Amino acid sequence: MSRPALLPRTAPFGDAERAHLDAALGSTTALQRAWLAGFLAGLDAASGAVPAEAPAPAAPPRAAEPLTIVFASESGNSEKLAGDVGKLARKNGFKPKVVDFADLDVPALGREKRLVVIAATWGEGEPPARAVRAYGEIMGEGAPRLDGVEFGVLALGDTSYAEFCAIGKRLDARLEELGAKRVLPRVDCDLDFDKPAAAWIKDALKALAPAEPAGNVVAVDFARAGSADEDVEVSREPVTVEVIEHVNLNSSRSDKETIHLALAFEEAAPAYEPGDSLELYPENDPALVDQILRAAGLEGDAALRQALLAERDITTLSAATVERFVKATGHEEARRLIDNGEVRAWIEGRHLIDLIETYPAKLTAQHLSDITRPLPPRAYSIASSRAEVGDEAHLTIAAVRYTTHDRARTGVASVHVADRIRTGAKLKVRVKPNKHFRLPKDPATDVIMVGPGTGVAPFRAFVQERRATEAPGRNWLFFGDRHFTHDFLYQLEWQEALEDGSLARIDVAFSRDQPEKIYVQDRIWEQRRELVAWLDGGAHFYVCGDAKAMAKDVRAALVKAFADVKGLDAAAAEAAVAGLERGHRYQQDVY
Amino acid sequence: MADHKTADLSTAERVYETPPTERPITEAEAARAAKLSANEHIKIASGYLRGTLAEGLLKNATGAISDDDGQLVKFHGMYLQDDRDLRAERTKKKLDKAYSFMIRLRIAGGVVTPKQWLILDEIARTYANGTLRATTRQTFQYHGVIKSNLKRTMAAIDSALLDTIAACGDVNRNVMAATNPAQKGAHEAAYKLAKDISDSLLPKTNAWREIWLDGERVVGGEDAGEVEPVYGKTYLPRKFKTIVAVPPSNEVDVYAHDLGFIAILDKKGKVTGWNVTVGGGMGMTHGETDTFPRTADVMLFCEPDYALKVAEAVMTVQRDWGNRNVRKNARLKYTIERYGLKAFRAEVEKRVGRAFQDPKPFTFTGNGDRYGWVEGDDGKHHLTLYVASGRIKDIEGGPQILSGLRRIAEVHQGDFRLTGNQNVIIANVPADRKAEIDALVQEYGLTAGAGALRRNSLACVALPTCGLALAESERYLPSLIDELEESLASHGLSEDEITIRMTGCPNGCARPFIAEIGLVGRGPERYNLYLGAAFDGSRLSKLYAEDVTAADIRPKLDPLFAAYAKDRKAGERFGDFVIRAGYVAKTGNGPDFHVQTGAQKAVA
Repeated sequence: MSRPALLPRTAPFGDAERAHLDAALGSTTALQRAWLAGFLAGLDAASGAVPAEAPAPAAPPRAAEPLTIVFASESGNSEKLAGDVGKLARKNGFKPKVVDFADLDVPALGREKRLVVIAATWGEGEPPARAVRAYGEIMGEGAPRLDGVEFGVLALGDTSYAEFCAIGKRLDARLEELGAKRVLPRVDCDLDFDKPAAAWIKDALKALAPAEPAGNVVAVDFARAGSADEDVEVSREPVTVEVIEHVNLNSSRSDKETIHLALAFEEAAPAYEPGDSLELYPENDPALVDQILRAAGLEGDAALRQALLAERDITTLSAATVERFVKATGHEEARRLIDNGEVRAWIEGRHLIDLIETYPAKLTAQHLSDITRPLPPRAYSIASSRAEVGDEAHLTIAAVRYTTHDRARTGVASVHVADRIRTGAKLKVRVKPNKHFRLPKDPATDVIMVGPGTGVAPFRAFVQERRATEAPGRNWLFFGDRHFTHDFLYQLEWQEALEDGSLARIDVAFSRDQPEKIYVQDRIWEQRRELVAWLDGGAHFYVCGDAKAMAKDVRAALVKAFADVKGLDAAAAEAAVAGLERGHRYQQDVY
Repeated sequence: MADHKTADLSTAERVYETPPTERPITEAEAARAAKLSANEHIKIASGYLRGTLAEGLLKNATGAISDDDGQLVKFHGMYLQDDRDLRAERTKKKLDKAYSFMIRLRIAGGVVTPKQWLILDEIARTYANGTLRATTRQTFQYHGVIKSNLKRTMAAIDSALLDTIAACGDVNRNVMAATNPAQKGAHEAAYKLAKDISDSLLPKTNAWREIWLDGERVVGGEDAGEVEPVYGKTYLPRKFKTIVAVPPSNEVDVYAHDLGFIAILDKKGKVTGWNVTVGGGMGMTHGETDTFPRTADVMLFCEPDYALKVAEAVMTVQRDWGNRNVRKNARLKYTIERYGLKAFRAEVEKRVGRAFQDPKPFTFTGNGDRYGWVEGDDGKHHLTLYVASGRIKDIEGGPQILSGLRRIAEVHQGDFRLTGNQNVIIANVPADRKAEIDALVQEYGLTAGAGALRRNSLACVALPTCGLALAESERYLPSLIDELEESLASHGLSEDEITIRMTGCPNGCARPFIAEIGLVGRGPERYNLYLGAAFDGSRLSKLYAEDVTAADIRPKLDPLFAAYAKDRKAGERFGDFVIRAGYVAKTGNGPDFHVQTGAQKAVA
């Protein structure tokens, strides 16, 4: 028996949702409906999700406004925020569409009405790898006119890099140049983006809301049932783990130090997937904390010491840090750095300690808190598969040590792990999913993995997973480091994998074993015929590791390989590799 | 000076086995049926020393090669080794053993040109562990060359017109020759014979060029007759070492080798012919008395024209008669003990096609080197430098031996000679260039000598690279000599020449059983102490004390030094004294090496 539909076709629901609602509401009594109306209104008022201007109940129903949210993400932060915007937008009566830059149809952008852009900046002012193509098209001469498009840009970056939020800034300017209308100012977020991003999102949805109220949209957040092809949401709550293995994988003769860390979860391990990262909450070097306290004249403040150890980023020195320092202390000499435009050059290779030692000033605990930002967790690719290690997660962490301006520097998290963490220690971690670095859905698909140095970590997870699940696809690893004898990370495990077939082949490049440097891209070039044959057979290609040089060189080698093996010209070879990327068969996780 | 040995007449009284008449088995099935030793099967299956070496080089996740290839690669001059100092940490770090290769060159007579020296130096710095190791057999070896660099290293060696073929393995290995450049004519004859033997007894398989230099595989010639007319498919039963000596110096240790030629000189110093020695060898196994070191027998005299033929005949008789069932008894010394010297000589004469005279008299005065400058018959000058344990390297805060010799090679117009005592001779220097060489010697801290005990010392490589070592040798002997020199000085013996040799295991690379003081590794910091060998290397020593800890070596020797200082006769050598004084029994030859061991009387 069909009942007459209660909800108009214009209600902001999909057909299936509407049918469900009709089915549920169709048999309600007037009393029940009144109760429900009050309940729903109260629910959203309490959560603050509803704009102050509550929709007038009497207004005629109208269609939800389309809103396109595009994100350029490397580490997944922009992507997560884009998802947040989408959810909130739906609550607010929009019809949101979340699009990865990697999949963005740039010529069609002109047809959008409202555009939210969330863009991360990577390395020295570069777009995330997946966004390179679309970014290039937008910035390029062939970009479409965007007259009539309303937009807002949220930029993500890291103030410890010189070109802070450069991509967000350039996109913001470019969209305006193309005729689009900026409806709210851009906000540039540092690593602690949670609060400023949430505030901007709220403002953005207000600013992008149509002039008239969005009709009598029933403001209910119907949580989407997870569809089958999407990853199960993993808990982002930090949990405590115990270190059950801590070993330097490099030989005692190596000048490198790479820590293999096996972590045991107290409960069941969070449902991480091969390709995901684990964020680790580090502590600062106590010696550095004491140095800073001494320089600031704040020795003996135990509470401050604890805060600096565990909560504040006391190494990063950005132009903003210097500005905040000058504001807090009124230091004249330091101010001149800014006034003379020398601050960019001066902070190069320097840390906070250099600033407060070079420009001594009496500081208060509040000053230090104002000057610094919260200590962010550091993400490391997980080097294990739950299918093989159960309720553990393994990490592969290279200790970062270097000297600049005559001062020995250490990586906050890596050296915390290398020097101050031992077996039995507890650490706080949380899973950071990376949906764009995933094994092929079809276990029969071949996999090519390029992971020099610690870049090999996720591929250890891949190989473990494929072995545990008896995936019939072949696995081919390219590994590289400095010396075969001293730096062959997980050598015995790769030998076993070759024995049991979970690695079909391995090619290695050790740069310092011979007079000329040999890198993974050289091996890729040497093996180009076989490599292209694998790719022609549908293999997926993965790169993990250094973003600055390696990832680019590997990509360039692959383009060259296509050109050579298939007799393509440069443009066609480039298109072949770009095709792999668009088809999500060329995935990278670089840092 | 000890009596020289001649064919022992008492051998006639012993009953010997009847020698085989067939050539060695080269068929896999027959070899299995005959229960030949494992290495024989590997050789048969190897396709003339190829095995799966080429494939093994491509396995890039491991620095090792297969076990069978590990045996074959010795014929190519290499040993697979691993850094034993690092073993303990490797598994924990998920790393395989720190494998690398020892590469030994074939340098007949130990003569290299300055141009070759510069290339060899470059290889040491680029692919090896930064050192050139002068061996106890007049050649160089490299340590620490990883698998991925083997082919590059071989190509570099080839570019110096040198190779590593047959530097190890069951073949005629590097042929040594007396270095005494002062005896110009005799040395030239010795060197020429060494070179001729080295060339004519070289394996003919193309495997080396094919595998290491990407040479073309020669198709077809799989027929033994064509590929290896002398060796055949299975080469020799065991290693085979040949030397050429020129009295009065026994610097090449003629008694320690399978085959030797002793120059017989006329009054003008011209070579009139050669005494041929057979059946010397050092290696034995701890606790197995059917293995023993043996000094060579002086078998016959041959005229210069027959030397090469005799060499080939000795080698082919050993090829056919040597024990291929029990590898530890496969060397020529055991063949002689098994079938008797008389039968062996008869077979050699039969194969050469004529009978030879009995050996001529000769005299050796010692087996050490002559340090410092000497002038040759032709007015050229020769400088022998002392190199501790043959380790040519730059020592932090010490002598810059590698760099110094490189600088000398850049200006030197003569040649270099390696000695069997691990030292280096800068040879054929015109009188007017001596000062230049001396200045460089000074500048880089090189030395033309050392204390008496030290300059008469030898040590094998042992730890950390040698897989056979049971104890330290090269890394420990220098500090032990410090201690012993103190002890000797306290007895007024600082200037007395006494030979001392140390090895990390009983295989005897540094020929410890013919040193007056022999120390052979038993375990970490434990050594067997052998005494009573002849100063000139003609008589074996005897086990004096077993399992002596490193700390106890000096206390064991000090009272013997005291007695020697007090009771020796004029000119009496330490090795002779300890026997005459009754501290240790005299060894006749190999078979009684293990008899009447231990201290024979308490020392005051």
